[in-house]
Amino acid sequence: MKSLTGKTLLAIATLTYLFMWVPTITLIVFSFSNDKLGIRWEGFTLKWYAEIFNNAAVRNALEMSLIIAITTIVVSTLAGTVTAYGLYKYKFRGKEVIRMSLLLPIVMPYIVTAGALLVFFTRVVDIPLGYPSILIAHISFSTPLAVFIVLGRMQRIDWTLEEASMDLGAGRLTTWRRITLPLLMPAVIASAVLIFPWSFSDFTITFFVAGVGNTTLPIYVYSALRWGETAAVNAIGAIFVALPLIGLLLMNFFQKKRVI
Amino acid sequence: MPRGACPERHEILRYAQNDTKRRAGNDKGMFFGSFQTAFRIVGEMPGNLREKIRKYLAKQAHLPSVGPVSIWTILFVIAPLGFILYFSFLTAGDFGQILPIFTLENYQALARPVVAEVFLRTLLFSLATTMICLLLGYPLAYFIVMYGGRWRIHLLLLVILPEWTSYLIRLYAIRMLSGRAGLINSALLSLGLISSPLGILYNPSAVVLTLVYGWLPLMVLPVYASLVGLNPSLLEASADLGATPFRRFFTVTLPLTKGGILAGIILVFIPCIGDWLVPLLMGGTKTFMAGNLVYLHFISAANIPAGSTIGVALTAIVLIIMYLCIKAGGKEATERII
Amino acid sequence: MENRESIPCVELRNLVKRFPGVTAVDHVSLKVEKGKVFSLLGPSGCGKTTALRIIAGLETMDEGDVLIDGKVINDVPAYKRDCSIVFQTLALFPHMTVEANVSYGLEQRKVPKDEIRKRVGEIIDLMGLGGMEKRRPSQLSGGQQQRVALARSLILSPKVLLLDEPLASLDRKLRKGMQVELKRIQREVGITFLYVTHDQKEALSLSDTIAVMDKGKLEQVGTPEEIYETPRTKRVADFIGASNIFPGKVIASGNGKVQLETEGGSRVIALENKDIRSEEVTGISVHPELVEVLPEGTGLEGDNRFRGKIVEMIYQGDFIETKICLDQTGGLITSYLNSRLGRETQFSPGEEVLVHWSPESSNILLG
Repeated sequence: MKSLTGKTLLAIATLTYLFMWVPTITLIVFSFSNDKLGIRWEGFTLKWYAEIFNNAAVRNALEMSLIIAITTIVVSTLAGTVTAYGLYKYKFRGKEVIRMSLLLPIVMPYIVTAGALLVFFTRVVDIPLGYPSILIAHISFSTPLAVFIVLGRMQRIDWTLEEASMDLGAGRLTTWRRITLPLLMPAVIASAVLIFPWSFSDFTITFFVAGVGNTTLPIYVYSALRWGETAAVNAIGAIFVALPLIGLLLMNFFQKKRVI
Repeated sequence: MPRGACPERHEILRYAQNDTKRRAGNDKGMFFGSFQTAFRIVGEMPGNLREKIRKYLAKQAHLPSVGPVSIWTILFVIAPLGFILYFSFLTAGDFGQILPIFTLENYQALARPVVAEVFLRTLLFSLATTMICLLLGYPLAYFIVMYGGRWRIHLLLLVILPEWTSYLIRLYAIRMLSGRAGLINSALLSLGLISSPLGILYNPSAVVLTLVYGWLPLMVLPVYASLVGLNPSLLEASADLGATPFRRFFTVTLPLTKGGILAGIILVFIPCIGDWLVPLLMGGTKTFMAGNLVYLHFISAANIPAGSTIGVALTAIVLIIMYLCIKAGGKEATERII
Repeated sequence: MENRESIPCVELRNLVKRFPGVTAVDHVSLKVEKGKVFSLLGPSGCGKTTALRIIAGLETMDEGDVLIDGKVINDVPAYKRDCSIVFQTLALFPHMTVEANVSYGLEQRKVPKDEIRKRVGEIIDLMGLGGMEKRRPSQLSGGQQQRVALARSLILSPKVLLLDEPLASLDRKLRKGMQVELKRIQREVGITFLYVTHDQKEALSLSDTIAVMDKGKLEQVGTPEEIYETPRTKRVADFIGASNIFPGKVIASGNGKVQLETEGGSRVIALENKDIRSEEVTGISVHPELVEVLPEGTGLEGDNRFRGKIVEMIYQGDFIETKICLDQTGGLITSYLNSRLGRETQFSPGEEVLVHWSPESSNILLG
């Protein structure tokens, strides 16, 4: 790294890393500050974290976000895995169309998806805004993610293993349960790890389709932000920042447990 | 599926219809009756027809796995998008209704200076953001790949992690730093460097910088992937042929990572062009982007046709950009997006 | 009606499998005797693996029947067939231990746990895999993985064990060892082996019967000796390593001999075979080790003697591959000279020599 290029690169990289991390690190630091506005250091405290659990509004929002994220994970990884399997294993007409339409939610601007869903739910079909609408929106977005992650893994699997299993006398379902699924597990876990932070922290789409009175944690943060910040938001924010880290550690843990 | 795609199906249907007609007289209850009929039909079918059913079912073997999500996608992805396309040609009523009167007025309204200005600004901000992301992201990715050594994966994770954090929270963090009463201002004030708080927020550069902050990781990832995929012997070969490091970069490395760059451009540009939170929280009405118009029309004004039109226009821009990038970058760009 | 001869273990009747643009298996009929090693030999892409997969039930056929033990099993799904396949890639389950891999099939058959344990123990001993039970496939050597794959299939005592080039991934020395192993195991368990390979040496040394396939068609079925010594067609002769092939026509016969004129215009002599009509003959083949090279001075009178010039001598260890250009036709003939006899000192490239082989060494080709 002695060369001029190396030094310049190091400088740019350092500045970029600072740019990316200083705001969130500051946020975490000040979530431990005693200051009511959360922007001055007034001594160490954990009271804002305690408040997350004492404040009923925050608690309800957290609960709603968790229910939605977990339901989305379960439905999306399941549906995504099954769909990826079908897309990979069978040749049929319209396969490309299905692949392309699965890309749609990923490439459409959030705001357009969000608006389209809201209009669809309220003006075309009558789906109540709240849990049903939010779940439909989240599942529509997350399933393609799972499909593409699992598809990527499928391209690297030795499929004669399935044939070997059937040859040894296992039916289709047993083969799925004992061979295919364990082999796909890393991808399934990876999509769950990816979907959770997405669903848990999505704001735009959720905000549009949530309707009145349904507050997820990001929506709570948004209103706190718009109508006067409180330091408790810092604590919530710190949790959001820590979340993907926890996911990463989880994924690491699962990978180490399975020798594949 | 187009008609005639599966000749067996028609034959089976015809057979089933005739059979049902024949036996209509002595059928029992709806449910059991139909089940029994189904079994009887299959049982009594001539061998070749049974064979055809078998073949037909074999051809549809993908349906149980692919079917559910396909139906879901049609219902909750394609239909909503189709409807906003449809609504964009209709007229808005005075009380938020959608009147089924065909009109092109919504599209003509896009040309109105107020709206056109917003679109122009959206494009400009998005372009600026994408360029800055590229200028920062490419050297960063290059640095990680060339100098990362055994810390490569950790350095990359430091880039990815913010992307998995709530976007809203990250915007909040920026605001905490740079607001009028924010940390930067209070630090500068207490150091005596300034006498009154700086207006860091609520201007175009604040919006663009925040957008960069928001989407930079999406540029680094594909570029990183294509740099890692580079065959090091290519670089060695070109060094061996006497190319200076500088020339080497522009004649070998850069062209070979084109796919990654284009993928990064798509990945950053798309969310930028649809962003509405940054202008809302960092910019104020003077920096409103197209996404804010969608929000205003859909939620505040309840003018669905006008909102739909802006949504359609945004989608069109995204599709055009994607088409251009994929055309320029070929297969690699497409693959790197996913 | 089948009682007169014993029922074959596996029988294919007019098997046809078409893939887009190619007929992988083209009206193949064959019978595999019980308790024997039967090899399907052919170049890659000849349809041998497809035929094997059809027998295993992993692929469907377009026409024809597959019988195991005299019963048509066309519609029996793979997991209910009484046969087991050892894949080229071995397909060991990477997430299971050796023990779990081996017991997998018995578990599917709902065999009681005690019995599974007993039989797994036995087969692991038979395969010499003791002490490896708790390892995963990735922690085993190539040869050990091979044994696990065999054990996993053999433990089910299938009517027939299908082997799809199981030794292809091993290096040469290990492959030799495993060939011996395979023969030993087959003798011990007495299970019919249906062996697919493209390695003619492997097929010759392992099999009781060999079927040579090419482009989806069955070319010849016979014992290793028959296949090696009397290949019936050019393709078989070429594939089995008889590199001297002379296309030609019968022009005369009598005295227990037939005379052929080759395309190059030479006359070659072969022994007459009563079962063959002379119109069917398309040429002869001679194995290189049966071609003698003599010093130039030797007389020309007698059958199959030709003048030529040595163009190339390649040392191959136990023999010297010698290529001779025939004066009369300009064609090349290959001879394997025994290097131990010290003849290499007699000849050198560029030398004029005489080549000779006896009429009984000429093998008549029919296609």
